[in-house]
Amino acid sequence: MSMFDNPFDPDRHLRAGCACGQHQSAVEHEQAALRCEPVESEEKRYEGVVASAVMRAMFPQDVARRAFLKSVGASTALAALSQFFPIKAATEVFAQTGAPEKKDLKVGFIPITCATPIIMAAPLGFYAKHGLNVEVVKTAGWAVIRDKTINKEYDAAHMLAPMPIAISLGLGANAIPFAVPAIENINGQGIVLATKHKDKRDPKDWKGMKFAIPFDYSMHNYLLRYYLAEHGIDPDTDVQLRSVPPPEMVANLRADNIDGFLAPDNICQRAIYDGVGFMHLLSKEIWDGHPCCSFAASKEFITTAPNSFAALTRAIVDATAYASKAENRKQIAEAIAPANYINAPVTVLEQVLTGTYADGLGGVKTDAKRVDFDPFPWQSFAVWMLTQMKRWGQIKGDVDYKAVAEQVYLATDTKKLMTEMGLTPPATAYKSFAVMGKNFDPAKPEDYVASFKIRKAS
Amino acid sequence: MTDKFISIEGIAKRYPGASGATTTVFENLWLSMARGEFCCVIGHSGCGKTTVLNILAGLDAPSEGTVIVDGQAISGTSLDRAVIFQSHALLPWRTVLGNVAYAVSSKWRRWDRAKVKAHAQTFIDLVGLSGSEHKRPSELSGGMKQRVGIARALSITPKMMLMDEPFSALDALTRGTLQDEVRRICLETGQTAFMITHDVDEAIYLADKIFLMTNGPGAVLAEVVENPLPRDRGRTDLHRHPLYYALRNHIIDFLVTRSKTFTAEKPDHDPRNVPVVQIGKPGLTIASSGDEQRQTWTPGTSPGLTA
Amino acid sequence: MTSSLRLRAGIVSIALLAAFLGIWHLATRSTAPVATMSPEYAKLMGLTATQGKSAMPGPLDVGAKLWEHLKRPFYDNGPNDKGLGIQLGYSIARVGMGYLLAVLVAIPLGFLIGMSPLLSKALDPFIQVLKPISPLAWMPLALYTIKDSSISAIFVIFICSIWPMLLNTVFGVASVRKEWINVARTLEVGTLRRAFTVILPAAAPTILTGMRISIGIAWLVIVAAEMLVGGTGIGYFVWNEWNNLSITNVIIAILLIGVVGMLLDQILARFTRMVTFPE
Repeated sequence: MSMFDNPFDPDRHLRAGCACGQHQSAVEHEQAALRCEPVESEEKRYEGVVASAVMRAMFPQDVARRAFLKSVGASTALAALSQFFPIKAATEVFAQTGAPEKKDLKVGFIPITCATPIIMAAPLGFYAKHGLNVEVVKTAGWAVIRDKTINKEYDAAHMLAPMPIAISLGLGANAIPFAVPAIENINGQGIVLATKHKDKRDPKDWKGMKFAIPFDYSMHNYLLRYYLAEHGIDPDTDVQLRSVPPPEMVANLRADNIDGFLAPDNICQRAIYDGVGFMHLLSKEIWDGHPCCSFAASKEFITTAPNSFAALTRAIVDATAYASKAENRKQIAEAIAPANYINAPVTVLEQVLTGTYADGLGGVKTDAKRVDFDPFPWQSFAVWMLTQMKRWGQIKGDVDYKAVAEQVYLATDTKKLMTEMGLTPPATAYKSFAVMGKNFDPAKPEDYVASFKIRKAS
Repeated sequence: MTDKFISIEGIAKRYPGASGATTTVFENLWLSMARGEFCCVIGHSGCGKTTVLNILAGLDAPSEGTVIVDGQAISGTSLDRAVIFQSHALLPWRTVLGNVAYAVSSKWRRWDRAKVKAHAQTFIDLVGLSGSEHKRPSELSGGMKQRVGIARALSITPKMMLMDEPFSALDALTRGTLQDEVRRICLETGQTAFMITHDVDEAIYLADKIFLMTNGPGAVLAEVVENPLPRDRGRTDLHRHPLYYALRNHIIDFLVTRSKTFTAEKPDHDPRNVPVVQIGKPGLTIASSGDEQRQTWTPGTSPGLTA
Repeated sequence: MTSSLRLRAGIVSIALLAAFLGIWHLATRSTAPVATMSPEYAKLMGLTATQGKSAMPGPLDVGAKLWEHLKRPFYDNGPNDKGLGIQLGYSIARVGMGYLLAVLVAIPLGFLIGMSPLLSKALDPFIQVLKPISPLAWMPLALYTIKDSSISAIFVIFICSIWPMLLNTVFGVASVRKEWINVARTLEVGTLRRAFTVILPAAAPTILTGMRISIGIAWLVIVAAEMLVGGTGIGYFVWNEWNNLSITNVIIAILLIGVVGMLLDQILARFTRMVTFPE
């Protein structure tokens, strides 16, 4: 939310990051969201970039600018400004970028709500706006999407946030340098338990249960393990974790083959919709603002078609910005529900995207941030994932956390792109955050790994 | 016997047996036939008759020795030597006409379809199958099948015909008719024929010369029996010929007893000079030297067997 | 007699079908007790939860949906949503290509091996090892080396359909009756002409039997392969509908897969009858 705002908002600082994203509570967040007027079109936003540059030149002091805006009002200020500065012309010049080397692109996705920006960018025309003709191709599973992207059948793809790191490191596949220019979504997962466990809400009672996760290299895996371990359950010895393709999770839950799962959304809600499970916990409650899925491409594609890649990233960032607006969510749900995209009942997608959902126990809950969209590829996210890979024995030996994170998560490039687009990226690529109340300092990953009592002995 | 159209010269056939030993079916086999002659081979199973025929046909190669046909050593099969197979060996996916035409077009590669068909039709008519040209072998009786086999063999106008028990699978009536046909055709066309048979009467009716082979392994050609019956013999009065029973008894006697004992009794048997038996012509010289090999028979004196 | 037998068999078939549909219908009626829930909550829930509707669709649901599909089999709503006709077309095209390639390789190779005892002995161990490998086990290897999922799918079809054809060709060629070969030899027919005029027709029924087994396997495998690689085809359709937990569509796809498989088998059976000769 923080990246998409208006330079003519008198309550806003023009420099690094708005108040949003650093709020302490959801309520404050919400208020901030209401305050930040969404920008309707990209043209307007570019206009905003240019205008704010002009404003900055005129009023180097934030205080003076705000005073000016307060006294005359934003629209008057803009009108006045455009009197003597050709903002429109400047905006046009600014918006022009290198022509894409390759216009017809294929982007793979897995049909879950995490892929919302990638998918909706097609029906809602975001790819077309950036001069691309993108075919979004539904793919059968994470391993297949990995292989098809490596095989260059896809130019870019929807991947679980840790996958590009794993591919770049050669975990579970040959090492091929991949990069993440944008995070697809944050939050948007949940722990669903079979209805028969509705009285077993304390994870300490879960010993011996079977849980499904979508993939080994997934935030789902790391978050579930983290959650279990925090409750004293060793995920490797006390419970069974199985990699199961998301659609089969619901069927398996119905068939009583598993006791629960930590799955990406629309799968969680689908289990509730079909009356086979209930929402135990949103992943947001484990770590608010955790990354879930990413938008990834191979380094090779990025170097051979930099303009296409940039246009693609812009389209995704753009779509992500659009998706982050609560008022667009209903429309998005309808756009991505048909068989060509996610192929799920609109009701289910609406519940996921609007955050007003049935919890499977007879109640209706509301959490507008159940899933959210924020493209910035924080390198600290990558570092955290590496610590978990290390913690659970997916990586052996020493890890150069910072180097890997910076190589794969293209925070610098995205930042530049976002600035060009008139968005406000954060000033730094690292931030510390808390997972279940435990602070993570990206500067001290080894200490963080060592601080966990439950982990795989290496 | 000066005109040796076919001359088998010292052929042998050996197979590698179990544990390194070799099995000799026959060895040092000498045999000759004149042009236009009809010869039958009689012997028990396992004496290598079929192997001899296959070597003559070129389907099998001798382990030793050569076969000379018309002054030339043979190597492999030839369209000059047609084979009539015991099991008729028709190609079941082709019609009667198709089977014969296959042979015709194999001999005359450049002929067009119509010419091939016309030529094939001539031979189908010859064996009396007119009207059945478009039937498939499965629709034919055993006798008709063998007629097709004969038509196919004749259609390539070979220099000689090789027949491996061609009528053994047929019923007596059909067999008789076909024997008549074959005899007629061979006489008309002057074919040289080499036939394997188990049927003594068939041999007597058809052959000019009958080769008697001892039992294998290690079979030898024991005697060549010249058929004393006139060339224009008829099926119906065959058995009235004064030498008929002598001939028949001689052959049966050979098959019943002497085929087993021959090798032991005649240790000095010279395979290059096989005795020629001329029944009813006492005093005539046999192609070999020794007196004891001269044999004379008179009707009704055959030991053990009477008609 | 035969017509009355056929009639009676037909009646029994229809009765069995009716019984099956009836039981199916009864078994999938809404019987589960429905928990009371607030209307606001109920609005967010599926029919399974709100009306106790069986998770398994009944024959009427399937019939209605099937009719819907049959009405417009060739619609195209973008790369991930195409009509059943198009999906089946993709699958058949893939099977056709992989199968044709297999025919082109298996039959000449089978001829060579069948006619040469040396090759037959030399290649036998390889064939014996490769033959029992599940075609789908090749998939990761194919994806890795070929680096193209649709070609990989074709390759998997190729590799799975080649063995029955190859083995049957070898067997058919090797067991051509000696006398037929001898006929050709006495007629001084050259090797190539002999192969085409004697060995091929003689071995054709055996070869066709192998081809018939192969097409069955190929059709089985394509569905699985498409479920793995996705994109297009009837296998993808099954997977896509499974994704949406639409058992109705999955059942329809199963039905169509069966029908197409039967048709392919019947086509090959007809070819087999054409080359079969009575002896």
